[in-house]
Amino acid sequence: MIHLKVTNLHKSFGGLHVLKGVNLEVNGPELIGVLGPNGAGKTTLTNILDGAITPSSGTVYLNGQRIDQLQPYEVARAGLGRTFQVTRSFRRMTVLENLYVPALALGHMSQGRALTERATEVLEFLTIDHLRNEYARALSGGQQKLLELGRLLMLDPDVIILDEPFAGVHPKLMEVIYAYIRRMKAEGKAIILISHQMDAIFALSERLIVLNFGELIADGKPDDVKNDPAVIEAYLGRDDEEDAA
Amino acid sequence: MRQVPNIAGLGLVLFFAAFPLVYTGGNYDYVMHVLITGFFYAILASSWSMLAGYAGQFSFGHMAFMGIGAYGAALFSHYFYITAAPTGTCTEFAFFGNWLVIKNAIGVTSTTLTQDCLQQAITEWGDSVRVWRMPVLLGIVLGTVAGGLSGLLVGLLVLRLRAAYLALFTLGFSEIIKAVISAEIDITRGQAGMVLPALFDDGVTILGTEFTRTDKIPPYYAMFGLLLLCLLILTWLARSRFGLFVRALREDADAAAALGVNTTRYKVFVFTITTAMAAAAGAVQAHYIQIVTPNMLFLLQMSLVVAMAVIGGVENFVAAALGAIFLQVMLELMRTSFSIGGVTVDMTTWRLVFFGVLLMVVLRFFRNGLIAPLIDYFARAGVAEETIAKRRAGEAQP
Repeated sequence: MIHLKVTNLHKSFGGLHVLKGVNLEVNGPELIGVLGPNGAGKTTLTNILDGAITPSSGTVYLNGQRIDQLQPYEVARAGLGRTFQVTRSFRRMTVLENLYVPALALGHMSQGRALTERATEVLEFLTIDHLRNEYARALSGGQQKLLELGRLLMLDPDVIILDEPFAGVHPKLMEVIYAYIRRMKAEGKAIILISHQMDAIFALSERLIVLNFGELIADGKPDDVKNDPAVIEAYLGRDDEEDAA
Repeated sequence: MRQVPNIAGLGLVLFFAAFPLVYTGGNYDYVMHVLITGFFYAILASSWSMLAGYAGQFSFGHMAFMGIGAYGAALFSHYFYITAAPTGTCTEFAFFGNWLVIKNAIGVTSTTLTQDCLQQAITEWGDSVRVWRMPVLLGIVLGTVAGGLSGLLVGLLVLRLRAAYLALFTLGFSEIIKAVISAEIDITRGQAGMVLPALFDDGVTILGTEFTRTDKIPPYYAMFGLLLLCLLILTWLARSRFGLFVRALREDADAAAALGVNTTRYKVFVFTITTAMAAAAGAVQAHYIQIVTPNMLFLLQMSLVVAMAVIGGVENFVAAALGAIFLQVMLELMRTSFSIGGVTVDMTTWRLVFFGVLLMVVLRFFRNGLIAPLIDYFARAGVAEETIAKRRAGEAQP
């Protein structure tokens, strides 16, 4: 049973308090959308969850193991994988080699036919199998997004954080990413989806959380969150005249 | 088509293996010396290619590790001996019925000592007590281990450094090693250098043929064998998960870590392996030329290794090795001066200008060198056609 628990998470960079006591709990396969204006703390939260940065205070537990002091590779091995806001494929390695890295790093597969077959299955699902022997740098931006998702399939984590997976992606490829997210959910993964694409996030998410200035201001079903006054204010701003009246 | 690089590689190995036996041109010893030096640089360039080209760790301290290997072997052969009787004056330990003797350091400018403690004992003993030098091979192994351990230490120190900071750190390390060797005159003899026994000091017999300590064939095959060994190890590493992970490390260390790669371990590992190779090359070269001086660590020497790797192709260690041999031979061939219209061109100087121009042209127009793209062209033959065919097949499906 997947269990991610974030408790009273704070992060400061110098005098800038980026996260202010964030609490979050994920139980079992869930598809959670994360919303928030720029500077809300979404990427910082992601970086703490994957071990890239350590929190100023607070804890993160994944399946009973404390992960907030672990190195990123240890977090990945503990069962949390992520994509990046700006695609970070291994550009001078082939598409297949990109997929081999996580599978071999975790040690649950060794080089050989089984690994190639698994990678082929992933590439076919993502509709980029024809590019298997091309260098990643030859892929379009959208195809590189798919390649990043493919690497996560090879990593096979319990919790997946997708940071802006739809940014700059052609609508046809977006359908593939939609299918990917639904498949992950069906396979019992917990997915944390960060995106500014409202249509996508409302279409896919079962639960939405909203961050604003480092605070979690809403956590609930998409319809409830959509009508939450605090969320509306965060996105549309406060009407001073109305307040005055 | 994809087998062309393998076939060409095998052909080159056979060519260099047979060359000393079939070469009948003039200046035999000189030609052999040029090739031995070429193999030495090939080990340095290929190991640096693994470090910089594969793993993205742009170290400018590679020659320092070569120097540690060379000086490790030199210090060992200079200070450690086995004697049948105790000297009574040296630092010494009982050793399997004999004595392990460590000579005292007297430097090169001592006015109070004209002989070290062992030499004094030998003078006193005459021929009555046997004295043995340490095995050359053991010195080479110890020099290699010293270089590898230094690489391990530096690898740990530069974990968080990237790009220019890593280059500057390793450059500083190299200068420190050179300065320490120059300054510790009592131990290292400073700029005077240290003399070593020959690689095969008592001669050697190969397939019934006896060779003296000055013959070129034994050191030729020793250095060539070391080069092949290094290339085999590098090939094995490159094809294993190690090669995959260090390339991922080069491309994006954070992304590799997020996918479960212990980037720290592989960064340290690649430093240790490649610096041990540089140290091994240094130790063998030291016994071949029989003298080591701090000049071996000049920045110009490091620049030469980098240029060789860049001209061959820094992202392919075989190309880097070939680039080193090619450049070493070319630089020697270009020593011959000539006249144009009565004006003599002194090639001993001008060859370095040609070398610099070649480097600039390669950096500007051939970013991955001159040889690596050729290997890549054959190794990836058919990939584009395969991509197009698969895409068409996918489009044809309903």
